[in-house]
Formats: sequence, structure tokens, C-alpha cells
Amino acid sequence: MIDEIQTVWIRYNLTERTIEHLQIFTIALLLAITIGVATGLFLYRRRRYSPPVFSTLNAVQTFPDIALLILLIPLAGIGTVPTIIACVLYSILPIARNTYTGLISVSPELLEVGRAMGLVERDILMKIRFPLAFPMIAGGIRIAIVFTMGIVTLGGIFGAGGLGAPLQTGINLMRPDIIFVAGIWVGLLAVILDGIAGGIEAELKRRFGSW
Amino acid sequence: MVSLELLGTPILQHIILAYTALFASIALGIPLAILALYSRPLQRIVMVMANLMQAVPTFAVVAFVVPLIGIGFWPAIIAILLRALLPIIKNTWVGLSSLDPALIASAEGIGLSRWEIIRYVRLPNAYPAIFAGVKFAAILANSVAILTAMIGSGGLGTVVFEGLAGVNMMKMMSGALPAIGIALFLDTSFGWLEKRMVPPGIG
Repeated sequence: MIDEIQTVWIRYNLTERTIEHLQIFTIALLLAITIGVATGLFLYRRRRYSPPVFSTLNAVQTFPDIALLILLIPLAGIGTVPTIIACVLYSILPIARNTYTGLISVSPELLEVGRAMGLVERDILMKIRFPLAFPMIAGGIRIAIVFTMGIVTLGGIFGAGGLGAPLQTGINLMRPDIIFVAGIWVGLLAVILDGIAGGIEAELKRRFGSW
Repeated sequence: MVSLELLGTPILQHIILAYTALFASIALGIPLAILALYSRPLQRIVMVMANLMQAVPTFAVVAFVVPLIGIGFWPAIIAILLRALLPIIKNTWVGLSSLDPALIASAEGIGLSRWEIIRYVRLPNAYPAIFAGVKFAAILANSVAILTAMIGSGGLGTVVFEGLAGVNMMKMMSGALPAIGIALFLDTSFGWLEKRMVPPGIG
């Protein structure tokens, strides 16, 4: 059993594939967090843009992921770049929506306390609204992690490498051993990352959520 | 350009594939969620499974089906079902269980039976959550139904993967665009249905 796993692992370069996978995942997630939080903040500042932006992002999110990757071929070709773009396009919505909701749903009493202490709007945003929105933002990022993990795996079909590549080989060759080793490994990685994100979210909720 | 007649069959196959799996998930998921409401062990299993499984990449789920069940239409249905079932169970359960206890108490107070409470109090109050789950599941099913062409399900995915193998952009697009159309249609029609079905004063 262990021998078989080792054979598959070495034969299909799963160490390199894992590193590749996590690299794409990390880049995509960091981009998604940056753009998502920025979008949420922008929409909080310019609230009248929020309905059109959110409904556009909503529509994008209903697209099947493979169809989105195909739409991206004329723009970005195949490989790592379109995979990252697709991950970001899917992940902006949960992060931006949660950031936006977190920022606007702070209780009015707390804002009043802030104003009474002489905080200007900017300070209220940075010192009151943002910290209180942390648990919500973390929740959005957790959803984004699941999306991103799924799409990076799918990117294997489109030449992005990562752990989707051996999965595709396994399906094409109908080789249960490759499918099990690569599939269980990528499933385990996804569950662990989701678990870590869940832990962080719970901790932030404990710290900032009880206000 | 792929002619429309040639696309008819894949579109039909795609819709049959996605909807069979979706309706099977609804038929299985909602009763399971109701049962989970009254059985602690079942509730544990369902929620742990739902949380774990949701994190596993779709591609891995589709791949697992090959050595475990095989390839073709029915294995593809199972793969889609495995994806679509979880959001339905989870949302239904959350909707049913996060009900104001006072509502249940007053329903018991006027002498409703356990079944009547589920039918007339819990379920209508859970409609918005159930709808959100079913809508999400429908969109997932539509998306996974393309991928399952890899395991021989037929449908629009076949067109997509043939195009991909032959580097034929037109062919890829003619597989992808109808799937996007179906997704947008699903999203709007579920939104409309939700407005019609959710009783006023709830949600």
C-alpha cells in the first residue's frame, strides 16, 4: 500500500505538483483578498454603485467554472494566468460582499460613541468599522479559499499544472491508483486549508464579534 | 461554426443530466434534513459530511467516481448528486432549525401535531434558506455537468473537451456559451420562483 502510494507519488512528481498547486492558490487568494476588500471598501464609500457591481459579480459567479476558463482563452490563453484570473473573478464576490456588509452593519451606538470621542470619519472607518468587520471578512475569505482550491484543481485540465494534472492523467488512463493518491491528497489539502480558515474565523469572531 | 442542430443533442443531454441530479438531490436532501432535525447522530454525520465534502474540489469528486462506480451517465449523476446534495441539506437544516422557539411553542400550544408543525410552521419559515440552497445546488449541478463529460456523461462538456483537444475555439465556445445561458436562466428563474413561493412576511 505505502509502496504503491510512493510509486505513484514519485512517478507523477506529486511533490512538485503540490508546490505548483499551492503557489497558484496563494497568488490567486492574495489577489482576491486585495481586490475583494478594496471593492468592498469602494462600494461602502460609493454606495450607489453597489447594486450594479454586486449583480454583475453575482452573474459571473453563476457561470460554470469551465465555461469561464474557456471565455478567458482568447484573452489570456491557457495555463496559470487564466486560472488565477478565474479564481479571482469567483472569489471577489464573497470577500467584497462580506467586507461591505461588515462595514455597514456596525451598530449605530458604537459609531456614536466614536463620534463623541472626537473621531473623524476616517478614524471611525479604520478603528471601529474595520475591526468589527474582521469576522465577516474572514468568513468571505473562507468561502473564497474553497472556490480557489476547486478552480486551481480544475486548471489542471487547462495546462495550469498543479494537482489537477495527475487527476486528469488518472481519469484518461483509467488508473485508480493515480486517482486515489492525487484525489485524496488534494481533498485533504482542501479540508485542512478550510479548517485553518475556519479556526481563524472563529478566533476573530471571539475577539471582535461580541460587540 | 458548429451548427445549431448539432448542438441540440448535447444541450438536451446536459439539461437532463443536471436536472435529474438536481431533483434527486432535492428529493433526498430535504427529507434527510428533516430527519436530522429529530436525530442527533444523523445531524452530526450530515453536518460534518456537509462541511468536509464542500471543501473537496469538484474535480477530485468527479475523479473518485471513476474507480468507485465507473464511467458513463449514471456515475456522472452520482458525482453531480454528491456536489448538489450538501448545500441543500445544509441550508434546509439551518432554515428549519434556526426558527424562533416561540413560534414552535405557540404551534404546540394550539395543538398542532409534530408533522403539522413541520408542514405549516417550520417549512414555510425555512423557504428562503431552502431556496438559497437549491439555487446554489442548481448552479453547481450545471457547472459539474460540464466536467462530467470527462467521465463519459455526454452533454455540453463533450463539445467543450472535443474543442479543447482539437484547439478549436469555436467548438469550445459553442459548448461553453449555452452552459452560461442555462446558468443565467436558472439564476433568474429561481429568483422569480422564490418571490412567488415564499409567503409574505417571511425572510
